[in-house]
Amino acid sequence: MSTRTRADAPVPSAPSAANGKRQQGILRRLRSNYTFNVLMQGLVTIWAVTTFTFFLIRLMPGNPVQVKIDQLMNTQNVTYEQALAIAAGLFEFDPNEPVIQQYVNYLGKLLTGDLGVSITSAGTPVLDQILRFLPWTLFCVGLSLVISFTFGIILGLLMAFNRGSFLDNVLTGFASVTAGLPDYIVALLILLIFGVQLQWFQVGEFRGGVNPNIAPGFTLDYLGSVLKHAFLPVLVYVLGSIGSWMLAMKSSTISTLGEDYITVAQARGLSERRVLTAYVGRNAMLPLLTRLAISVGFVVSGAVVIEEFFQYPGLGRALYRAIPSRDYTTMQGVFLVVTSAVVLANIASDLVLGWLDPRVRVGKGGEK
Amino acid sequence: MIGFETVATTGGLIIGALFGLLPLGIGLRFGKIMAGISGFIACLLAGFACGFLGGVPMMILATAVVVSYAYVNRQDPFTSRAALDEVNFEETRAEFAIRQLAALGNGTRGFMRSLLRNKTGFLGLLGILFFVVVTVFGPLFVEYEGRARLDRREPGARSLLQPPSAEFPLGLDWQGRSVLSHMVHGGQKLIVTSVQAALIATVIAVVVGSIAGLVGGFIDQILSAIANFILTIPSFPLLLVLASVLTLDSNFGLAVVFAVLNWPPLMRAVRAQVLSLRERDYVEAARALDLGMWHIISREVFPNMISYIAVNFIFTIRVAMYSIVALVFLGLVPLQEPDWSVMIYVGRQQGVLFNPEASGMILSPIIAIALFQLSLVFFTRSLEEIFNPRLRSGL
Repeated sequence: MSTRTRADAPVPSAPSAANGKRQQGILRRLRSNYTFNVLMQGLVTIWAVTTFTFFLIRLMPGNPVQVKIDQLMNTQNVTYEQALAIAAGLFEFDPNEPVIQQYVNYLGKLLTGDLGVSITSAGTPVLDQILRFLPWTLFCVGLSLVISFTFGIILGLLMAFNRGSFLDNVLTGFASVTAGLPDYIVALLILLIFGVQLQWFQVGEFRGGVNPNIAPGFTLDYLGSVLKHAFLPVLVYVLGSIGSWMLAMKSSTISTLGEDYITVAQARGLSERRVLTAYVGRNAMLPLLTRLAISVGFVVSGAVVIEEFFQYPGLGRALYRAIPSRDYTTMQGVFLVVTSAVVLANIASDLVLGWLDPRVRVGKGGEK
Repeated sequence: MIGFETVATTGGLIIGALFGLLPLGIGLRFGKIMAGISGFIACLLAGFACGFLGGVPMMILATAVVVSYAYVNRQDPFTSRAALDEVNFEETRAEFAIRQLAALGNGTRGFMRSLLRNKTGFLGLLGILFFVVVTVFGPLFVEYEGRARLDRREPGARSLLQPPSAEFPLGLDWQGRSVLSHMVHGGQKLIVTSVQAALIATVIAVVVGSIAGLVGGFIDQILSAIANFILTIPSFPLLLVLASVLTLDSNFGLAVVFAVLNWPPLMRAVRAQVLSLRERDYVEAARALDLGMWHIISREVFPNMISYIAVNFIFTIRVAMYSIVALVFLGLVPLQEPDWSVMIYVGRQQGVLFNPEASGMILSPIIAIALFQLSLVFFTRSLEEIFNPRLRSGL
């Protein structure tokens, strides 16, 4: 029997063809490599966004270069040529070059980490500005993401384990209502009800990122002020996002509870506590981890409305402030950072999930 | 446009009354008088509210419901247990149309029944209806106050602002105008623009998603890549920049820009659905019967996606309203009174956001937007449960 099977097996192809196949094989293996695919996709997306914003700003009707030229001619009484020269200096391009050449130059500068110079506050590199605003956003939104994810997971588990109980009904109601309200509406309601009507606190005290009269440093005063000013934005972000975490965790847990391996674990006589934490909880969290990674990406863009509302010195507010003054280099820079963050978070989520859950790795990368 | 208003008009009343005659007539003819009269009233109200825009769909629905009451026990030849040669398979076009209409009516009745059974969903529907009724019929009863009313200044008062009182149920705004009139007249544009935006996004998503799923290959790859690309960019910051670059001067333009940035999630879902439906047995059977692409899409694939699309549509209305209010709040789109979101913006510009006397002017639009959003959320939650019975035990 065995000899016949061997005889039926396909004959190895001729040596020359096999050689060619091996060369293709490296490429094909690279193409079907999960990590490589994820990374390439991310790079292509970043490049596409950069290109998109570049041409959006350069070629749109009423494009910023033209607007700046008009503005200069109107306000400073200069001729068109002079205005063009000034605008070219601000935007750092040579107007005599074709757009494609400008684009190549722009990409080349990006590769060296040069995002250009802010148009309105002349002389300030965009990168410096971004680095100044980024920590505030990362701190504020990051903190609230950690809080809402942790508590959302715990409460969602509680809801799923006590399904139909009074606790579940109350928490589900709370989650549906908070998840349904826009964050800025929550912010307004908190300020108007507790600040204005009930007078529990002075609204003005919470503006900005920190009290400007306190010298920066690792002093108790300064850190306290930072925390105090972050309190309301964090509260708003948490209220705005905890509901969806709770509901997602609840439904994920409920579907995990129906899995066969849970029954098996129970049948093995494992303690209930062990089944709930090690078997249900950990598996129910898997789909939420992807969402967490994606949320981390969107942390960087912050919430423009909330940051503007609380005058919080974050990246979202920087973007908003750049719009009326038509500071397009800043906009371009912020966009690049924000999108890169999302792309990196997506890559991280794909890789982490592929590592945690081998089914994903096989399903996506290993398909023939 | 005549007959396409979204506020109550006399012309709409006449249109509604004319359209209502059809269900009424059918109801009288077949002895289903209650159904006929309810159908007439429904058409009358829908026509009164929106002219042709509300009258035509309502006429079709009401007629279908009345027909479904009258159309009982007609033997369906395809499920008949009689011997094969006794069954009449011939069906004229009219008979076919009536059968379809009755099926639609039955579906509508079943849908309404399950909606009534679901408490939160019904609450959401009531909330949506409340705001629609107020914005559509309110202008008949409350006159719009567009000009400043300096004569309403109380002696000794620092501003024209007034908290709610018996005469002005929601108080006065910073120019002494009745907040109630602004609330009644100010919801229409916001709601219509949000619905438009969601409608355009849904249409783009369904068309592009179906093409990608059905055609496949290279076109699918390109369309999916575009969708993924748009999904990666944080859409609200991009909307901010686009709103400023494009200097949008119409609400419709805003709706289009929003739609262009927000179709990818639904498109991906539609594409996945089409791909999975393509492999189902009944679609294969239809293909084996050589029923043609259009038949397969409209009869076999589309009905299986409609529930998902409907839920997503309402969800997109919510997101659109969120984005539009935020854009107005930030002052990035041209402002026209009366509008709920403009009221909040003006309150902030005038520095009265935190003035206790301005509570009526500020809180009214905030609470209205919050309640409308909540109603939409509750309504979609129950829609999901109605369409997908598996969720009923889960959530």
